Amino acid sequence: MTQLFTQFASEAAAAEASNPVKALGIDVKLLVFQIIAFALLTWLLSKYVFPVLMKAVDDRQKRIDEGNTAAAEAAKQAAETETKLAKLLKEARSEASDIVATAKEEAAGLVAKSEEKSKAQAERIVAAAHETIEKDVLTAKKALHNETIELVAQATKKSWARRSMRASTNSLSPNPSRGERLICKANLAGARSLSM
Amino acid sequence: MLLGGFSVTVLLDFFLHSIYGEKGQTNRFVGLVQWAFEGMYKAVYDIVPDRVMARSIAPLALTIFFTVLISYWADILPGVGHSISWHGGELLRSLPTDLNFTIALAITSMTAVQFYAVKQHGFLGNAKRYVISPLKNPIGAFEGFLELIGEFSRLIALSLRLFGNAFAGAALLAIVAGLASYAASAVLPFFMAFELFIGFIQAYVFYVLTLIFASLATASHGGSHDTAHDSAKTKEVAAA
Repeated sequence: MTQLFTQFASEAAAAEASNPVKALGIDVKLLVFQIIAFALLTWLLSKYVFPVLMKAVDDRQKRIDEGNTAAAEAAKQAAETETKLAKLLKEARSEASDIVATAKEEAAGLVAKSEEKSKAQAERIVAAAHETIEKDVLTAKKALHNETIELVAQATKKSWARRSMRASTNSLSPNPSRGERLICKANLAGARSLSM
Repeated sequence: MLLGGFSVTVLLDFFLHSIYGEKGQTNRFVGLVQWAFEGMYKAVYDIVPDRVMARSIAPLALTIFFTVLISYWADILPGVGHSISWHGGELLRSLPTDLNFTIALAITSMTAVQFYAVKQHGFLGNAKRYVISPLKNPIGAFEGFLELIGEFSRLIALSLRLFGNAFAGAALLAIVAGLASYAASAVLPFFMAFELFIGFIQAYVFYVLTLIFASLATASHGGSHDTAHDSAKTKEVAAA
């Protein structure tokens, strides 16, 4: 145990007296060998190992960068699309409102037109009806007139025939009967209305 | 040395397994290695502002980090350290507890830094960082001289920091094991966990300092603000 603790001290103390470089355990041959070995190791690693790992790291970094760029682009595109969509929607809305307004106007025009048309038609119908009625009235009047004339003529004929018959059978009565007087009056009225 | 070979083998196996083993398949282990690598690799770009520079210095810094980490962690394996002796020394010894290894790492790191500095500024341009004519700029000349000393002090500081931590950790484990005696099984795991944590910190410090020295050496002289920022960062990390 004590040997363990004191071995460096005793060795160092012994060596230091002769050579301080040796005291630290420096051996030039070993040093040169270590340098060569380490240089060889560095060369080996930098030739066969590090390029592969570096490439992997660089590739991964590149992929990450690409992914980031793509994500940024996608986000940008999404924003663009959104604005475009909003614009389109706005346009469509305004167009729709335009269409609705036009349709309303048109409909109002149509209604007005059709109203006008129907009014005109109704007027026409009414006018036609009036005309027909007038015509009918006229015809009826004429027909009534003719009939009246005929009736009068018939009545006159009848009364004249009766009077002439009575006159021929009896003597002509100086006072006409009440009926005869009525007929005469009717005749007179008919003649007056005709002459009017 | 034996254990160093073992550590490096484990390190290589981790990496090779995570790349070439089970093509197209991933499991948790592969994911772990890739996650660790990715984290450290991305950290290089955070520390070194120049991307080209970061790319070229990354392999060295990553190798330093993972080598130090694995070999430091090997320290807590049973049988490593003082428990098995061979001709009066330790049979198995983790790499960072050997000053030869840490100095070798520091020399490699600082040499690479100088190499990049020469590549960036040219040989004369790099030399001008240290040697400035005192007739033109006396204060600058002194600063250049300090810078030259600083390069060597950095080298020594790098190697001694790692060695000191690792060696102290190994000694601590041995001493705690001796003191705790039969209770060692209950006590040691906490110290081992602490050693794992320190191992990670030290590996990270070595890695970050290498990167910072490299980016400082290659920084253009105009950017005084950046340099100040970096040196502040250096002090912060060195304090750890």
